[in-house]
Amino acid sequence: MSVLEAFDITKTYQEGREVTPVLHGVSMHLQAGEIVTLEGPSGSGKTTLLQILGCILSPSGGRLHLHQKPVEKDLAAVRRRHIGFVFQQYNLFPSLTARENVQYAINLKGVKGPEAKHEAEGLLDAVGLSDRANYLPRDLSGGQKQRVAIARSMACKPAVLLADEPTANLDSAVGTSILHLFRDLAKRENRALLIVTHDPIVRTIADRVLQIHDGRLRP
Amino acid sequence: MVDLALKILLHDKLRFTITVAGVAFAVALVLSQVGLFFGLLNNATLTIRHASADLWVTSHNTPNVDFAHQFPETYVNRVRSVPGVSKADNLIVTFMNITLPNGAEEGSVFYALEDFSAWNLPWRVKEGSLNDLRRGEFIFMDESAKRRLGAFSTGDYREVQHNRLRIAGISEEAKSFTTTPVSFMDFRRAQEMNPDLLKGQTSYILVKLAPGADTAAVKAEIQKRLPFNDVYTSNEWASKSEAYWIKNTGIGLNAFLAVFLGVLVGVVVVAQTLYTSTMEHIKEFGTVKAIGGSNADIYRILARQATIAAVLGFVLGLGLAYAQKPAIEAMALKLIMPASTIAIVAVGTLLLCLASAMVSFRKVANVDPGLVFRS
Repeated sequence: MSVLEAFDITKTYQEGREVTPVLHGVSMHLQAGEIVTLEGPSGSGKTTLLQILGCILSPSGGRLHLHQKPVEKDLAAVRRRHIGFVFQQYNLFPSLTARENVQYAINLKGVKGPEAKHEAEGLLDAVGLSDRANYLPRDLSGGQKQRVAIARSMACKPAVLLADEPTANLDSAVGTSILHLFRDLAKRENRALLIVTHDPIVRTIADRVLQIHDGRLRP
Repeated sequence: MVDLALKILLHDKLRFTITVAGVAFAVALVLSQVGLFFGLLNNATLTIRHASADLWVTSHNTPNVDFAHQFPETYVNRVRSVPGVSKADNLIVTFMNITLPNGAEEGSVFYALEDFSAWNLPWRVKEGSLNDLRRGEFIFMDESAKRRLGAFSTGDYREVQHNRLRIAGISEEAKSFTTTPVSFMDFRRAQEMNPDLLKGQTSYILVKLAPGADTAAVKAEIQKRLPFNDVYTSNEWASKSEAYWIKNTGIGLNAFLAVFLGVLVGVVVVAQTLYTSTMEHIKEFGTVKAIGGSNADIYRILARQATIAAVLGFVLGLGLAYAQKPAIEAMALKLIMPASTIAIVAVGTLLLCLASAMVSFRKVANVDPGLVFRS
């Protein structure tokens, strides 16, 4: 069953009088438990499409459906309830410990108190970082930071996980272990996972590979 | 709930310290300036507030209690005949020169009554008996006068208007706005010592009402019988005296400017440090938005940071203001900080810090959460 569907998505950016089209009628879908990679050269529109699918950007044209319904106008609420993000730069809060980073995301979704703490500890346990729960990001390795970011993205069980170059800043061994962890979690929790990447290793865990060039998905 | 606001604040301890210090400095400045202002005004009306008179009769347009004008002392009989008046007495307030042991002269403002204890003047007696003032060539001097007149004690003699008078006692807390020492002597003695000005004259009539008397009605009746005098309730007279000093000496403007400066310093420091901190953490705010945080969540973070800075800064500033008190009192000044003023400054500090946070919020509200995808 499709959890996320994009129909004929277009996106243009305007700077002064110059209008730059970035996406030209992109249609795609993600199913629960499916792992899809989105590959393409720099400037092909990968990140723009990811931002539209993640409800960070509004498309210039086309429709986006979540659970077979058009997405609400309040994009922040959609992100809060349905989307989990993993970023290339991890984007952890440097002043919060690993557990607090995860717990804060849970708090934002409306779960507070011991319940949020318990869930954060469970997610850190799932990514194998129970023993680093009270470490600040500066005291964690790149792989450990990305594990925290993955745990954070799983907060409150979002239907869709979107990852932007999650292995770009990691060496290949660590990157591979992160990918397998990500795949296992997504499969076990039946989440749809879209990974934007340049890294060919990522293909090894994908159920499906999408190629984007000049703002168009290749068949 | 993870307190991201506090964690971000404490992450840069130096900036946090500067923010709190800025608020504390502003609060201390405002409280001490307002406290000094109230202290000076308090001196201006001490005798009015402590005297047990319900009404004061003054000559027309007398600006404040120290700058008295004279009128016939027999008017007191008209006042005594008004229904509802329990007691009425004449009071002279006049400046006289006191010759110091070294030959120099200093002015003193003398309060002269026939029966001091009936009017609670002076209200704190350190040494001596007020009844001695009725016996003739005696005076009471206030302890605070020692700063201007040098050391003296009960039993010493001083020349007042070239008359040798004995200090029969010492009062405490009696001060004037002008810092001229306050002294006390018998009403008739004062008239005898300055007959050109005071013979058959008085400066004020103090009026005590009978129990249950209607203050407004009695006041109106006295005013009717003394149409060329002014009649005030004790509070009205104190307010008029205060207003005179506020308008004519610039202390009102000075206090206003000091408060304005304090507020300005506080707002600028908080706004500037919060803004800088926000800009440095802009990507974190972008992350908050990207993972589902709304503008309300962001404002809660900024508001909490401003509240923490306001509360800590206020407490520290209040402590600093109180710490100045002994030094200020050593200079014969008063720092009066009523609970209501402290409460107003506390609420004002919080509101201004929250307003300062709005500067940062305007910036963060427009942050594109997509910036988290940029390296």
